Amino acid sequence: MRTLQVILNTILSKNIFEYLLVDRALRVTSASYGIEKYLGSMPQEGDDVLDYLPELVGSEEEVKTIFLKKFCLYSLESVYKNDYYVNITVEYCDENTAIILLHNITANTLSKQKVLQYSNESTLLYSTLQKVVDNQNALLFVTNSEKIEFANKKFMHYFGAETIEQVRKKELNLYQNLDKKLKNYDELFELTNDKEEHIRIGSDTFIVQATLIESIYKLFTLTKVTTLSNEAMRDSLTGAYRKSYFNSKFEMMVAESTMCVLVVMDLDDFKQVNDHYGHQVGDRVLQEFARLIEKNIRKGDMFVRWGGEEFLLVLQHTSLADAKVKVERIRQKIASYVFPEVGHLTASFGMVALQDEEDADSIFFRADKALYQAKATGKNCIVVKED
Amino acid sequence: MIRKKILLLGDFSVGKTSLIRRYVDNSFDDSYLTTIGVKISQKRLELEGISCELLIWDIEGATPTRSIPHSYFKGASGAIFVCDVNRSETIESLNEHINTFLMLNHEAKHVIAYNKADLLSTPQKEELFLPANAFLTSAKLDSNVERLFTTLAKEVLL
Ligand SMILES: Nc1nc2c(ncn2[C@@H]2O[C@H](COP(=O)(O)OP(=O)(O)OP(=O)(O)O)[C@@H](O)[C@H]2O)c(=O)[nH]1
Ligand SMILES: [Mg+2]
Repeated sequence: MRTLQVILNTILSKNIFEYLLVDRALRVTSASYGIEKYLGSMPQEGDDVLDYLPELVGSEEEVKTIFLKKFCLYSLESVYKNDYYVNITVEYCDENTAIILLHNITANTLSKQKVLQYSNESTLLYSTLQKVVDNQNALLFVTNSEKIEFANKKFMHYFGAETIEQVRKKELNLYQNLDKKLKNYDELFELTNDKEEHIRIGSDTFIVQATLIESIYKLFTLTKVTTLSNEAMRDSLTGAYRKSYFNSKFEMMVAESTMCVLVVMDLDDFKQVNDHYGHQVGDRVLQEFARLIEKNIRKGDMFVRWGGEEFLLVLQHTSLADAKVKVERIRQKIASYVFPEVGHLTASFGMVALQDEEDADSIFFRADKALYQAKATGKNCIVVKED
Repeated sequence: MIRKKILLLGDFSVGKTSLIRRYVDNSFDDSYLTTIGVKISQKRLELEGISCELLIWDIEGATPTRSIPHSYFKGASGAIFVCDVNRSETIESLNEHINTFLMLNHEAKHVIAYNKADLLSTPQKEELFLPANAFLTSAKLDSNVERLFTTLAKEVLL
């Protein structure tokens, strides 16, 4: 018995366990001194234990069964008491006494609490970000090794998928939907990095843009365009159609073998205008040039800024001969126009008609060749390629 | 004196601790300190001539990876289930919390707090559909908190 007392005292002195002894009516008969730090005050003999451990309210009957069964399964973990965390358990002592043990687990619980705090805050932040991400345009993350890493809700919704696995299974390779033939996401990235490209999937048109995230992820943003806003379709300087918009339209015309004539035109010696008068004047010349052309074409004709001072014209449902008459008139209009500050300017034209079964690459190749010839043969003229 | 054990249950960060703090201390804190384990607060009240004490259990919230330990449920007379009106996932998980609790405490009573109502606009509040035993509460602005607790206390005591 003496050795037991020594063992008990050693345990108690370690500040790990404190105890209360209670009788069959759950009245305190004795307590360890250290228990005061958990309970706020020192229980006296005869006190109701529930006044000190209200945690036991509702479990009184369960605790009392210990006097019948000599054991009790009652145990309560991680209870906050007076700045400490304790586990509470009840053990049988003798037929009139039970011992209520308070096991100090403060240090351990506080470090768990820190982890939980961090995890809960991250979960909150993550779920907020997730909501933000899902409310954006359709987003697709692809890794450097061409693996689809993430697609947001909107992306999945557009493409009829519920989970990322379904997106992967569908082999929904965006790059295959462009008019240019691309082999992988790498190439799509090159094409759309900080630029816009139109892409058609089914009957929908999207503007695709790519951004590199942390050098390992390619983020593709898809904006669905049901009716294209003017801004999306038109070049901001000249008001001509943008190349990206034209690409998707022209692809359709080629696919349907629409009867049309493609005109490639270029302002002659425009570089000298820029060099001599500066870019602001150069920009105004381009605006004037575009205005002149818009005034001399039909509504259904498509006028496109191809880049720099190079423009395209697509004349639909017309023969090459009729188109040539029209383009000749435009050439003359330009040649006779006095551009503010700059004076007279001319333009060169290459034109071809879309042939049966011809693809976009081929017709562009022929039109470019015609323009090159017009430039080579003294500019300010039209070259028509029949084959 | 009659003593009754009541619990606050729900997902993490919905405002369980804040509702108790408002009810017991009439205070509010904007910062978030997650509860681990359980902390019991006592509140005395007089209901139709009966004086009693509520032992209010502030229990750690359920997280995606941690569910609430069932050992806390034993001997409870009632529970307040709390969700955050601005986080739909916390509303969706209410039923699960209620069912688990009632399975272990057939006799217990419960009410529901749709908390953080102060963050909703008036039209948003009007659109909200609340079950019969639910209250739109704000621990921050002290709205409906007293009613929430006394409604449950009455059910439990009377
Ligand atoms: N605006 C607003 N914020 C509140 C309200 N109630 C609580 N909060 C805030 O929400 C955060 C979480 O509140 P707590 O009371 O700690 O939530 P809890 O349910 O106890 O969280 P856990 O203990 O982690 O389960 C804190 O930043 C509170 O200030 C409320 O009615 N309105
Ligand atoms: Mg809490």
